[in-house]
Amino acid sequence: MLPDATVVGRALSAAGVPGAKIGETTLGLVCRVSPDDARAALAALKASELGFVMLVDLLGIDTGEAIDVVYHLRSFSRDEEMYVKTTLRYDATLPSVWEVYPAALMPERETAELYGLTLSGHPNPKRLLTTDGVPPLLRKSVPVRTAEEMRDR
Amino acid sequence: MSDPRDITIHPGSLAALAEGAYVPPVLPAGIRRLPTGVDDLATEHLVVNMGPQHPSTHGVLRMIVEVDGEELQNAEASIGYLHRGIEKQAEEWRYTAIGNLMDRGDYISGMHGELAFALATEQLMEIEAPPKANWIRSLVGELNRISSHLIWYGTFGLDTGGMGQFLYAWRDRERVVDILEAISGQRMMFNYIRPGGVVLDLPIGIDALIRDFLDDFAVHLEEHDQLLGGNEIFQGRVRGIGTIDREMALAFGLTGANLRCTGVGFDLRRDRPYAAYEELAFDVPVGTTGDCWDRYAVRIEEMRQAARMIRQLVDGMPEGEFTVKVPKVLRPPAGEVYAAVESPRGELGVHLVSDGGDKPYRMHYRAPSLLALQVIEQLLPGSLIADAVVILGSIDIVLGEIDR
Repeated sequence: MLPDATVVGRALSAAGVPGAKIGETTLGLVCRVSPDDARAALAALKASELGFVMLVDLLGIDTGEAIDVVYHLRSFSRDEEMYVKTTLRYDATLPSVWEVYPAALMPERETAELYGLTLSGHPNPKRLLTTDGVPPLLRKSVPVRTAEEMRDR
Repeated sequence: MSDPRDITIHPGSLAALAEGAYVPPVLPAGIRRLPTGVDDLATEHLVVNMGPQHPSTHGVLRMIVEVDGEELQNAEASIGYLHRGIEKQAEEWRYTAIGNLMDRGDYISGMHGELAFALATEQLMEIEAPPKANWIRSLVGELNRISSHLIWYGTFGLDTGGMGQFLYAWRDRERVVDILEAISGQRMMFNYIRPGGVVLDLPIGIDALIRDFLDDFAVHLEEHDQLLGGNEIFQGRVRGIGTIDREMALAFGLTGANLRCTGVGFDLRRDRPYAAYEELAFDVPVGTTGDCWDRYAVRIEEMRQAARMIRQLVDGMPEGEFTVKVPKVLRPPAGEVYAAVESPRGELGVHLVSDGGDKPYRMHYRAPSLLALQVIEQLLPGSLIADAVVILGSIDIVLGEIDR
């Protein structure tokens, strides 16, 4: 179920992403790459013998200092799953991976919208869930209710 | 000679009427309006809305659609009408309460959403629900699958123009919902599956209630299949359209019946077992062509298999505790996990990040319907409007989990 870290490392190096940090956490095998390398890393993992053909999930996490973007990959041929993570500064640009995994089209829009990131390389980078003027709701700095609203209750 | 009770039809604009430019002809008796013919009908590209209100309860989905006459050129899904901030709210509520939020995501498969979150929390806490709790979880999960598929069946028939099956489906769903109410206390927002197990033990006499339902359902399901599936008009509407091939399904992250209709036999109950599924005998139906008919046939067969599993679950329900003892306020150790269940719509997952506190640090709801909706934008262009409605219905989406 857990992919072989050395095989993953080899596939990424061969694709020109040598700086990947691969480790095991409670999630499973997690591979950290820089945001500019994310697309190449995902393409390499999809095309390699590891066969990660499906993007199961794409999400953002506000760590308090930066935004982590998590790509959850699954291989049916080997029945394995792994995660690729990148870290973006607040208000940074998120490069789209839709050409590797078209499943990313709407989740990227949602993640960019709710975390205040700019999407690049995306065919339809519009807001998905909220209307214009709504702040990036999933950021830890955006409260569910402002102090003002709490007082008025 | 015209009768004063006749309604005179004035073709032409209101401006022309005001100027008195048009004088209606004296029509022969029995003719109410001039026949215009369709030979000169001009078609043009129109951009129209489908939704956000629909007659087939797909939810508040708005499709912006470009049509050339009756043919769809382009479709774009505009969502967010049901966005309530479930993932943000999950950072404000304690772990035992998050089941309420999951209930309101995919609101017709509440048990599955609750179970996904409970499994994620249990993974973080490194605890396991006792055997009876697992069997109860599978039992209510399969009952929920039948109730959800019956809604889909009834409304999918509406999409093709059939109205009889809609109420027959509701008749059977009412029986299932009564059973779920007897077990959990609620018809829809169950709040029944929590980290550690379930909230209440099964009521005495529930097995008789379920067996009665299964006996009737065995007959009724075949009637449902005959009513729609055996109807050649339905087959004509549904065969050969909305074809998804294997590559597209994998590329778009489809799961559940939408993936299995293409021939990929991946089912979380069998391939990533959870609850009591390892101890049950069941088959996973898989399609061949990936069209709307295959999705219909796969879901009907899933209902048969669910009934088969429910019988095994009722016959073999173990004794014992229905939950492990967990503290009133759960504080899972810091960590990050992903847990998923096979909901009626596909893989319903919860990606949970804990910082050791009493509230989740981040909870992401992996909704199968969101990815299925993306495929729609690929499938609809080139189809007729009537076919577009059928294809949209065959994907089985719930806006609650798309918008969260």
